[in-house]
Amino acid sequence: MDTSQYLDIFLDESKEHLQNLSDQIMDLEQNPENMDTVNEIFRAAHSLKGMAGTMGYKRMQTLTHDMENVFSEVRNGTFKVQPGMIDILFRSLDALEEYVDNIQQTTDEGTNDNQDLIDALNSILKNNGEIKPVEKTQGAAKQADTAQQAAGEGADGKQAKWGEIKISDTEKMLVEKAYNEGLKAYGITVYVEEACVLKAARAFLVFKALEKLGEVIVSNPTAQDIEDEKFDLTFSLIFISGNTVDEVRAAVKSVSEIEEVFCDTYELKADAAAGHQEAEHEKAEESAPEQPKPAAAAAPTATPAPAPASAPAAASRPAASKPAGKPVVNRTVRVDIEKLDNLMNLVSELIIAKNSLIAATAAEGKGDNGNAVNEQIEYLESVTTNLHESVMKVRMVPIESVVAKFPRMIRDLSKKLGKKMELYMTGEDTELDRTVVDEIGDPLMHMLRNSADHGLEPNDVRVANGKPEVGSIFLDAYQDGNNVVIEVRDDGAGINVEAVRQKAIERGTVTPEQAETMTDKEIIDLLFLPSFSTAKKVSDVSGRGVGLDVVKSKIESLSGEVEVKNKFGEGSSWIIRLPLTLAIIQALMVVVGDEKYAIALGSIQTIEDVSPEEIKLVQAKEVIHIRGTVIPIIRLNNVLDIPARNEEGQNLTVIIVKKGDKLAGLVVDELIGQQEVVIKSMGKYIKVPKMISGATILGDGEVALILDTNALI
Amino acid sequence: MDEVKVMDEQQRNESLNRHVELDTTQFIVAQLGGEQYGIDIKYISNIIRMSRITRVPKVSDYIVGVINVRGVVIPTISLRLKMGLPEDEITKKTRIIILTLEQHESIGVLVDEVKEVVTLDEEHIERVGYEKDDKERFLSGVGKTEGRLISLLDITSVLADVMES
Repeated sequence: MDTSQYLDIFLDESKEHLQNLSDQIMDLEQNPENMDTVNEIFRAAHSLKGMAGTMGYKRMQTLTHDMENVFSEVRNGTFKVQPGMIDILFRSLDALEEYVDNIQQTTDEGTNDNQDLIDALNSILKNNGEIKPVEKTQGAAKQADTAQQAAGEGADGKQAKWGEIKISDTEKMLVEKAYNEGLKAYGITVYVEEACVLKAARAFLVFKALEKLGEVIVSNPTAQDIEDEKFDLTFSLIFISGNTVDEVRAAVKSVSEIEEVFCDTYELKADAAAGHQEAEHEKAEESAPEQPKPAAAAAPTATPAPAPASAPAAASRPAASKPAGKPVVNRTVRVDIEKLDNLMNLVSELIIAKNSLIAATAAEGKGDNGNAVNEQIEYLESVTTNLHESVMKVRMVPIESVVAKFPRMIRDLSKKLGKKMELYMTGEDTELDRTVVDEIGDPLMHMLRNSADHGLEPNDVRVANGKPEVGSIFLDAYQDGNNVVIEVRDDGAGINVEAVRQKAIERGTVTPEQAETMTDKEIIDLLFLPSFSTAKKVSDVSGRGVGLDVVKSKIESLSGEVEVKNKFGEGSSWIIRLPLTLAIIQALMVVVGDEKYAIALGSIQTIEDVSPEEIKLVQAKEVIHIRGTVIPIIRLNNVLDIPARNEEGQNLTVIIVKKGDKLAGLVVDELIGQQEVVIKSMGKYIKVPKMISGATILGDGEVALILDTNALI
Repeated sequence: MDEVKVMDEQQRNESLNRHVELDTTQFIVAQLGGEQYGIDIKYISNIIRMSRITRVPKVSDYIVGVINVRGVVIPTISLRLKMGLPEDEITKKTRIIILTLEQHESIGVLVDEVKEVVTLDEEHIERVGYEKDDKERFLSGVGKTEGRLISLLDITSVLADVMES
């Protein structure tokens, strides 16, 4: 069977499962007794195994199978989780990740059997689990799982399991109402054939068949899980219908690849207790979508919200009180990023076309019907602006997908470096453009490693300095106006500015005289130069002198900036500032000489009309005094090599721009006005100076360059 | 903007197929000063008339600026300056040849005039090895057709040089 069309889904879901596993195993390390976590890991490993098997990735399947076995035994209480086990599990996760990476690149899982890991996992089973089912075939293991889920009943038989469905008050009411209306409630348990490849599709057909006869009010697993194929060979549901048992059974049986159907009338009594139990200790995730979601089931491409681990839990609260019949979980569609890029390009084209239209009507002058046209253009403008915003929003994803791997990384670093440390993260739900999120992982990882390796002192030094033994690293993300700020902070030693100064002199980066006059901030900026590392010894983790310069250039390529705040002895914080959007900005169009330039509106503070007398010289540099602030003047024609216009004695138009807490005044010849501009790349054949951040196409088809005022200040 | 689309993919393939057994290459012949240069047609995506060029400050002098070709911003170089010839004189015949070596990466090349398309088979091309520092290192050989000599440009090395500087 050709499964290639499911490859994307397989990859996405595998990654989700792996991340989930990683999180849960981290959790397990902290709370080895937590059975919820063990169950969750078991489930994730099991789904992963099933998916890998379906796709024909045997090695991946074998490894997950052995992991699953271990958890199966932990779950049964045969043995407990031990620290050594966690390491093996993490290594197994790494191996699985490798498989998935290979599959993503070549659609093949590679040839690494990871036999050492498999042996290690099996030896865990042998040493602690006595005569436990290491050698069981996969099928047998599966049956055992099913049996376990059947809450301790006989291991061999298929049976009606709808009795186990826990129903909430809302559903109870629905059942009662049905009986009052003369309808019947049925419990149905469906077994799918073991050979069935698309279980979810079969389940979907079962749901569809049933919906012709009545209403599915609850299912186990939930409709969402069934749709995502997060179930074994069986699922159960409670169903309200006016038809007879036989008709219902026949309807289910009519779906192919269904092995067996158990169906009987559903009595309310038995589950009152179960409902209580659920309130007490049932996991949020299981109780979450305990209502029918025929609509969700009807859309096979719909997937759980981007963060499936947390979303159902969050959704479960309001779900319980809402009337049944409405989808609870956000319905989402996975879209290829290329399609979105395409859409974005079209929106850009539209904006350019709109700008041309404005330019054209302005050139035509105000004709008789000028007003009507202008009105329509304004309307068009608001529509395109909204359209642009919507497309931007679609492209926004939470940074969670990149930062989620960091706790694990810090844990490993902590072991490797022999330092105790803890990572605290906030704002994982902060959203950024997808392309930025994809790129931001490496720089962040670099900075975290830096903090862990150079920032934090060894534990004994910390204690001697009166700090808590365990070092803290913080990763905070938040939105600030049109920027997203990601801050990596540690409570370590901070940067020793003097050491950097010495190093810079030693290396000949600066002369001793220069070093004398440099501020601390300027010294710290030296760290971002290529091949500048102050680490005394080169370690595996960081300190090879590549890193911060790479971080800086990466961030700058994303039109962002890095800033360092440092307090020697108390720690340092690295602040990354990234623009929310990359493609379209509001800009002020100006004229210098006879060339047009765009300046991002976000950086502009004010525009001043300055008479030539107001310009003073301070240290041979031109400045102006505006409302108590001395602001240096930059004459754009000089910077851009444009001959000056001969306008002696005339007032100057000065645009006051801001970078961080610094201001500067840019002298331009004319202002054109505010305009939405689409940022276009200039291609790799041209190395533009830093002060040009890109180009844009004006309404009349002319290309104008966009000035990066940050590079000018 | 007047555009002269050279050939679409299909036509190109057809013409290539016709000559496939002869091992021939098609070149666009461009005039540059007193000499004629041939550019392999497979790199050429478009030839446009002179359009408004936006100067880019602080770049090598042979980069004349950027142009807008159907919504894409494309850097443009002066082949004259790159080849060490006197600066371009813009006339009615001036053309910009758009070269596309890889997807989404194009560059415009300013030439005095575009003459014609010639088909050369391998036996009419004289491959010459040029010294590394020679200004003729951008040539891959000389083609002979109807008694004329055409210097064949090695576009990849021209662009590699542009990328380096």
